Amino acid sequence: MSIIQINNLHKTYTDTKVPVKAVNGISLSIEEGEFTAIVGPSGSGKTTFLNLMGGLDTPTEGDILIGDKNIKDLNSRQLIDFRLHHIGFVFQSYNLIPVLTAIENVAFIMELQGIPKKERHQIAMELLKKTGLEGKENYRPGELSGGQQQRVSVARALASKPKFILADEPTANLDSASTEDLLNMMAELNKSENMTFIFSTHDKRVMDKARRIVTIDDGKVVSDV
Amino acid sequence: MKILIIMAWRNLWRNKRRTYITATSVVLALVLALFMRSMQFGSYETMIRAGVNEVGNMQVHDTGYWDNKTIDRAFFTNPALEQKISSLPGVLHMLPHLESFVLASYGDKTKGVQLVGVNPEAEDRQVKISGKITSGSYLRKGQAGLVIGDKIAEYLNINIGDSLVVMGQGYEGTTAVGIYPVTGIAHYVSPQMNNLIVYMDLETLQKLIFPFQPGLLTGISVYCEPGLEDQLLTTIKASVGDHYDVISWKVMLSDMLQSIKLDNLSGMVMLMILYIIVAFGIFSTVLMMTVERRRQFAVMISIGMRKGKLVVTSIFESIFIALIGVVAGLILTTPALMYLYLNPIRMTGEMAAMYESFNQEPLMAFSIAPSIFFSQSLIVLSLALLSAFYPIFYVLRFNVLNALRQ
Repeated sequence: MSIIQINNLHKTYTDTKVPVKAVNGISLSIEEGEFTAIVGPSGSGKTTFLNLMGGLDTPTEGDILIGDKNIKDLNSRQLIDFRLHHIGFVFQSYNLIPVLTAIENVAFIMELQGIPKKERHQIAMELLKKTGLEGKENYRPGELSGGQQQRVSVARALASKPKFILADEPTANLDSASTEDLLNMMAELNKSENMTFIFSTHDKRVMDKARRIVTIDDGKVVSDV
Repeated sequence: MKILIIMAWRNLWRNKRRTYITATSVVLALVLALFMRSMQFGSYETMIRAGVNEVGNMQVHDTGYWDNKTIDRAFFTNPALEQKISSLPGVLHMLPHLESFVLASYGDKTKGVQLVGVNPEAEDRQVKISGKITSGSYLRKGQAGLVIGDKIAEYLNINIGDSLVVMGQGYEGTTAVGIYPVTGIAHYVSPQMNNLIVYMDLETLQKLIFPFQPGLLTGISVYCEPGLEDQLLTTIKASVGDHYDVISWKVMLSDMLQSIKLDNLSGMVMLMILYIIVAFGIFSTVLMMTVERRRQFAVMISIGMRKGKLVVTSIFESIFIALIGVVAGLILTTPALMYLYLNPIRMTGEMAAMYESFNQEPLMAFSIAPSIFFSQSLIVLSLALLSAFYPIFYVLRFNVLNALRQ
């Protein structure tokens, strides 16, 4: 079942001297439960493509249908709410809230969703356990390693029960062991929870784990295997 | 909401030193402002208390007397009128006065003075003239003696027991001339009083000004319970009718109130400068806290936090900084001001002379009126809220993608 349907997507940046076509006519369908890597050289448009899918940027042309919603039709406030309830994000630099503990970071997104305290605490504990962070609940990001922070970040992304998780180069700042651990954990979550993961990456190890690799160059899909 | 408050509080302590410095600047400003205002209002309260003590909360005069103080606008004692006023609830007591400007001569010197006829015992209970006598003794009822200001004594070179000739206009075209012994020399706070005022027994002065009918008065000072003044002023005005004017101390001491207003204004200007400096201190902290978390804001909006909630967090941060400063400032200042309120500083030497030159008792008094604490704290909190406008605009105009790209 297709959870993301992208039709003839264009994004042109006009705030530069010469207009830049970062995404130039991508059409793509992502099915539920996919473990997909978007790859391509630097400047190929993969981050822009990810931002468009995540509703962080608006397309110049084309449609992004997530479920029955075309996110092009949503205003900025509706987009924020849409992201909160439907999309999970994992960033390259973890980007946890530094003043909150691991469990608070995970529960934070559920608080934004209005989930009662008891329930969100319970869900956050379960997610931290699933991501191998049992016992680290009350550590602040600064007290955790890079790999552990990225695990919290994944737990946070899962906490909102999203339709899919967008991960922008999630392993770029991790060492080999942490990368391996993180990818194994994500693959496990993909399998056990049927959670859809979409990565943008340069990392060969991510590509090796991915079941589908979409290669982008000059804003176009050049291969989809 | 709770998590926003927690985040705001913890954000402050990400850079402890900066928060301490900002809070300290708020504390210093508040301490300075509270001391300054307490001292100002303390001196105003002292001045007003002393003024009202002398003139009463209000005075009853013949119509037009206040604007044209001639002896011909005096009136005769009216027991029914006095009974009517004294029976009003809230009226504490009344002091009748007869005042006339006369020439006072001793030896080859003459000086213009204000003769003030008083009921010696009743006047002393309120105004405590006897406590200001530096030589000789205070007046006694029916005694033909004078209590003169020390500057008058100095000018005329007159001493206790010497006789002073007074000459002026009597009531309705008569001439008032008399000779009375000086029984006491007094030193008042006001140099003007030392130079001008001569107290004497009311009945004796009444006989001097108009010997043909007793009971001549220029005014009756009315003293009332605190807080009832405005209400009583209206009631007394209504009950005395058109033949009398009833004038509040605010009119009688309008010059003093004017100078208080002017002084208050200069104090406010000083405070404004102080608060502008503090406002910039808070603003710079808020600015740094906002700009350094640009990426964090972007991430929070990306994962679904509405900008409004970010704004609320920033407002809480500003309020917390101000609150820390305000609470610490109040804790530091309140006991000290309470002590100074109970133990005002009596000035001596040149400082005392300076106070007296402004017609003030040489006493550095402090006020602990709750309005001072409330208004200054409110100003600091308002400044913090004002500083929060920057993050509000920043967040509302925030470009998430640009921040994420950085």
